[in-house]
Amino acid sequence: MQEIKRRYVIPGDKIIEGNYKPLMNVVKSGNYLVSTRVGIAEAGKDGVKVIPLSGVYIPRVNDLVIGKIIDRSSLSWDVDINACFFAHLPAQDVFGRDFSPAKDDMGRQLSIGDLIIARIVSFDRTRDPMLTVQDKDLGKIPYGEFIKISPTRVPRLIGKRGSMIQTIEQATQTRVIIGQNGIVVVTGRDPDGLSLAAKAIKMVEEESHTTNLTQRVKSLLNVQDPVDPEQPESMNTSSTTESATPPQPTTESATPPQPTTESATESATPPQPTTESAAPNNSKSSSSSKEKHRNDNSEKSSNNDSNSDQKEKKQE
Amino acid sequence: MYNLKELALMDENGKRSDGRGMDELRSIKITVGVVKNADGSAYIEFGKNKIIVAVYGPREVHPKHMALPDRCVLRCRYHMSPFSTDTRKNPAPSRREVEISKVMRESLEPSLILSDYPRAVIDVFVEVLQADGGSRCAGINAASVALADAGINMRDLVSACAAGRLSDNIVLDINDLEDKEGDADMPVAYLPNLEQVTLLQLDGKLTTAQFSECLEKAISGCKSVYEIQKEALMKKYFGNEMELKEEA
Repeated sequence: MQEIKRRYVIPGDKIIEGNYKPLMNVVKSGNYLVSTRVGIAEAGKDGVKVIPLSGVYIPRVNDLVIGKIIDRSSLSWDVDINACFFAHLPAQDVFGRDFSPAKDDMGRQLSIGDLIIARIVSFDRTRDPMLTVQDKDLGKIPYGEFIKISPTRVPRLIGKRGSMIQTIEQATQTRVIIGQNGIVVVTGRDPDGLSLAAKAIKMVEEESHTTNLTQRVKSLLNVQDPVDPEQPESMNTSSTTESATPPQPTTESATPPQPTTESATESATPPQPTTESAAPNNSKSSSSSKEKHRNDNSEKSSNNDSNSDQKEKKQE
Repeated sequence: MYNLKELALMDENGKRSDGRGMDELRSIKITVGVVKNADGSAYIEFGKNKIIVAVYGPREVHPKHMALPDRCVLRCRYHMSPFSTDTRKNPAPSRREVEISKVMRESLEPSLILSDYPRAVIDVFVEVLQADGGSRCAGINAASVALADAGINMRDLVSACAAGRLSDNIVLDINDLEDKEGDADMPVAYLPNLEQVTLLQLDGKLTTAQFSECLEKAISGCKSVYEIQKEALMKKYFGNEMELKEEA
């Protein structure tokens, strides 16, 4: 396939003529491939696509998203995931299969206004997104600085193999949790580091399409040396580095109530975020969740057990 | 004997009441992204028209029963501010505003790929701050740019421009005086890349030949407007760089 030069396009712009496969944000019009969004058009071996520079988040299965609990029914929570639909988090996902609306108090686990990091397990044209927190690093986010960016800038913020976000994390001594829906939570002990990280994230958002952005971010952060390739890579493309603390799984949310994370001032004095002992009563909560999960034969309990085991080992 | 009406609208040199030639557009200025709280927005100055457009969505439909299972609902609200005209305009939606809201929605719909957002809604709010004839065309131009700014999948931008008749002359881009005193006014909305007309209204009388000339002139005006829309979008997203430079 003939390679085409990357170029800026707006809706209706003809990208290329010929028999190419339209991949993303591209439609066929006669013998031309036409862009449907403002963005950067590029062609690869697979076909032609446009990387958009604006737009709301459209949920996709398996995306990691950060959402805010906005409502609660007797069987599930409604979560605002910054998309055109509200997502649902079933109570059974948090309490286990033996959840009973009569016995279990949903407000004890997640209250309205809480931030969670969750994975989308199902979504299609006919129904709203369904979330799960049954995985490592998923669950309630107890503290941090809340930043909202355009969902289209998320890949740029992560960078190639997480390079951009690693640069920001290492230079500011913070931990950055990125949701594919454009919500970012930054945690760290140093208020200056937090504000610097927030500034860098905003810079990436505003100048995502410009050239030499990495260099400019590095100069903002006063990073002289190139990123060490030996550093561990991100746990996943939309999350964090290994050295950072994962958020507490919701099954262990017996931790003392943490302030909701939207206030920047509250994030200035968070508990220790860089080690596993972030929650002061971790051992208690771990053991209680372990007991609970031992009685539960469901598949998810094994996940959480392994979570708890890991935490215990690290504490030792 | 002089025809006083003709004298006011066009002089013996073919200059119109505001000094323009017959094929001349009013000055157009478009700014993208002026409303921070909206998903997409644009401000247009089309001659003396000043219009602000905000786009919200795709988002949840309220009331829920309006949602369509297979595609997105497009809602459009054209509204003239009470201070937009010489005498105070009652802010309640008038018959004319309801009609213009409808024709604007119908002219924008063909450019949008609404089937990409089932069960959702896109709201377009068009607020006329100052009116001087041709506000529906100016509103469509700004709305189209605001929709692109909101990142909604579109087949093409929509460009709109009116043409009309002053006595025997077909002229481009009718202003308020020409609209009231002239003989015909024909607003046209057009998809410049797809070469399709999405709005065609006519107020007045034209012969077949005049109609063809008027349509042709309006389409050429739409093409000129498209260049300005394109430039405004490019400026917002890419600054003054029109070509992408590869990062080293």
